[in-house]
Amino acid sequence: MQLFFQTIVGGLSLGAIYALVALGFSLVYRTMGLVNFAHAGVVMIGAHVATAFSLVAKLPFALAMVVAIAITGGVGLVIERVLRPLENKDFDLMLIGTIGFGTVLEALAILIWGATGTAVASPVRTAPLEVLGIRIRTYDLVVLAVAAAATVLLVLFLQKTKRGAAMQAVAMDHEAATAVGIHVGRSNAIAFAIGAGLAALAGGLVGPLLYVSPAMGGTLGIKGFAGAIMGGFGSIPGAILGGLAIGVLDAFAAGHFQGYSELVTFLVFTLIIMVRPTGVFGERTVSRA
Amino acid sequence: MRYRLGAVAVAAVAAWLLPYGLGSYAIHIVDIAIIFALLAMGLGLAMGIAGQINLAQVAFFGVSAYAVAILTAKSGFGFWPAAVIAILITVAVGLLVGVPALRMQSHYLGIVTLGLALAFTNWVTNAELSGGAEGLSGIPVPPMFGIDLFSEYLYYYLEIVVFAVALVFGLFVVRTPIGRRMRAMRDDPLAAGAVGVEIPQLRMLAFAIASVYGGLAGVLYAGLIRYVAPETFSLANMFLLLAMVIIGGRQSLYGCVVGAVGLTLVREALVEFATFAQLAFGAIVVLMVVFAPTGLAGIPARIRQVATRGRSTLARAQLQPFDSTSHMVSSPAADAPVLLEIQDVTMRFRGLTALSGVSLTVREGEIHGIVGPNGSGKTTLFNVISGIYRATAGRVVLDSTVVSRKRPYELSLLGVARTFQNLRLFSTLTVRENVLVSLDRTRTRWAWRYALWPIGVWRADVGLRARADAILAQFGLAEFADAIPSALPYGIQRRVEIARAMGGLPKVLLLDEPAAGLNAGEVDQLAQIVRAIRGGGVTVVIIEHNMGLVMSLCEQITVLANGAIIAAGTPAQVVADPAVIEAYLGDASIMDDIPIPSPTEVAG
Repeated sequence: MQLFFQTIVGGLSLGAIYALVALGFSLVYRTMGLVNFAHAGVVMIGAHVATAFSLVAKLPFALAMVVAIAITGGVGLVIERVLRPLENKDFDLMLIGTIGFGTVLEALAILIWGATGTAVASPVRTAPLEVLGIRIRTYDLVVLAVAAAATVLLVLFLQKTKRGAAMQAVAMDHEAATAVGIHVGRSNAIAFAIGAGLAALAGGLVGPLLYVSPAMGGTLGIKGFAGAIMGGFGSIPGAILGGLAIGVLDAFAAGHFQGYSELVTFLVFTLIIMVRPTGVFGERTVSRA
Repeated sequence: MRYRLGAVAVAAVAAWLLPYGLGSYAIHIVDIAIIFALLAMGLGLAMGIAGQINLAQVAFFGVSAYAVAILTAKSGFGFWPAAVIAILITVAVGLLVGVPALRMQSHYLGIVTLGLALAFTNWVTNAELSGGAEGLSGIPVPPMFGIDLFSEYLYYYLEIVVFAVALVFGLFVVRTPIGRRMRAMRDDPLAAGAVGVEIPQLRMLAFAIASVYGGLAGVLYAGLIRYVAPETFSLANMFLLLAMVIIGGRQSLYGCVVGAVGLTLVREALVEFATFAQLAFGAIVVLMVVFAPTGLAGIPARIRQVATRGRSTLARAQLQPFDSTSHMVSSPAADAPVLLEIQDVTMRFRGLTALSGVSLTVREGEIHGIVGPNGSGKTTLFNVISGIYRATAGRVVLDSTVVSRKRPYELSLLGVARTFQNLRLFSTLTVRENVLVSLDRTRTRWAWRYALWPIGVWRADVGLRARADAILAQFGLAEFADAIPSALPYGIQRRVEIARAMGGLPKVLLLDEPAAGLNAGEVDQLAQIVRAIRGGGVTVVIIEHNMGLVMSLCEQITVLANGAIIAAGTPAQVVADPAVIEAYLGDASIMDDIPIPSPTEVAG
């Protein structure tokens, strides 16, 4: 039983990262109908920017993170402009177009930071906590707390501010939103910038857990996307739940099947999605043949 | 035809002579390019033709190559027996990977197939059977009647023969019934189901075909390199393959081949500048997707389109009157047998009740009108009858068989045809092909003929085309046979949709607002067409807002309001019904509260 809870606790911190990545996917998708596979690349860029500011510019970790979020959000505005022709196109084109753009981001990262990558030390150096016999790394708590705070801020923004309400309106019906005078283009750009900011947050937080390199986006992106799908693509609570679930699933698979963890994770994911194709919170795009 | 034979002859001679001009490294690259071309064709058939996102194509390739390696190097099989088993295994895997396509499409299918592909690479990297990260070597040179296939020059000829057969077979599939149904399914799965396309079987078949091509490529790869390792089947190569197919043009097999060969060569040329190549490659992919979404294969058609703008032959084409020479049958007798019976059907969407306890009876040979205000549940009723929705409660009975749990394509095969309120024609198929899809009643299991008796497929297709032309002539559409529907005026598109629905020789035809958007002349023609269709023995159910049309056309009318039937009967009975007046003009009881000056007062 202790091992069981230990595995869950271990899975939750990476799960929180996947949840942040999934949030970015879902936010962009629901607002502008773009399935953005370049998001993995944005996470990777965010991780590099955060690392550069904390290791090279010697800023404190939290400050480096804020700077990274701001810069990556700005980069997101540029990316949105480039990807705009792909919005609401057919899925094949979006798929390869955004993957192509992700390739560009990866090549740029190699040119700027080199292909080798860097290890990032944990910014929290206190010893792990012991709660009821379960060891909890303090940094994991930081990750969970930051992810939770980011989610709460996002939800408050979407529900309490005028700009957020406008984005919700665009998500529901962008033609009707245009008709009532909402600037859809601007709303999309903001959604994308927020998505990129979340990606930078995920990338910055994951640095001390993994290894920061231009190739890091792939797995994070795919698992984050799987999380978003599992929770119900386009749903905010779905992204959180799905991301955490993928993290925990991954931890169990790694605990029981070692090297075959990825195999097990994706087989289980396929079975879950076969049973509930619309995810937990549901999106109605599934066709009944 | 002579021109085309000439082109084939030139291509054959060029393929024959090619190795004589190449060095030993160049021929190796060409051998690799052909393998990618096979893979790309498989992906093109699944994704471009059948619309099934398949990100496991490189994994199919890997399954086959690894199966050959394990069977030859570890189990001591000969190369060719191992190759046959490998292809069978790959098809089995392909069908398994395709199962999720029955439940989901688009990005859902994308992530699932991608996940399964990752699961495969994860397995081969770890399993002892597959040699782990180092991979497996020791695959023998394929024996071939004394020809030494160790030579990559001679191996080229083996590959080119397999490639040519695969290309011809692929083109044949695309242009004959199965490929046409796949393209219809890609353009509009809902409408395809409604004209009898067996969507689930066809999706599985798409994955089976993709895995056969992947399997062939894997066998050839194993025989050429005689060594397999996990990184060959990585995600990076999957995305490269995807880029080949998109850049070449996913809806054209030639495009897939050009993309595959082109990108393989480009990758080789830039192998020393890997990072810059990656940058340029990504940028080109984005630019192609934005500016040439149909890929290289689509560019000639776009140039032609620009060149012939305004001089289209379509501009001179005329819509001919409908040929209603068939004998006219008047209204059916009151005791005609019941063809379609809706029994107490209720349809709920989460909280919303769209239909509650709807029952109605349609007799054979009747023209039955369904009217009601917007949002009263008319189209929902059609969707229930044609199987697109499954009713929450109640039954639909056709010809004394309960059909309420059947899928749209099963209902189409049982004789239910329909049109859609917002036209749903197959947008990249010609008018003739639109009709051919519904006319074609061959089933998916008929696919064995493609492998064993292609001449039979070809003959059947020629017969279908003749029948399609007869239907188009009857509907006065002969001159538009080769047009793409979206290039035609709205009224003509509506008529094409009715012609398509009639192609399946239905027992009952459901028309959903067929007069919407038509001018007065076209509405008169529509009435004539509907009467002629009934004259041919087909029962018609029609949803329409044009009351003049409904009153003159229908023998029986059912009125819906808020999901329930408020009146039913002959046109005369229905117009006199107070409930109908109330639904259309407002609540009559409100009138009670309004003080109406009484005549006596005025007089007083």
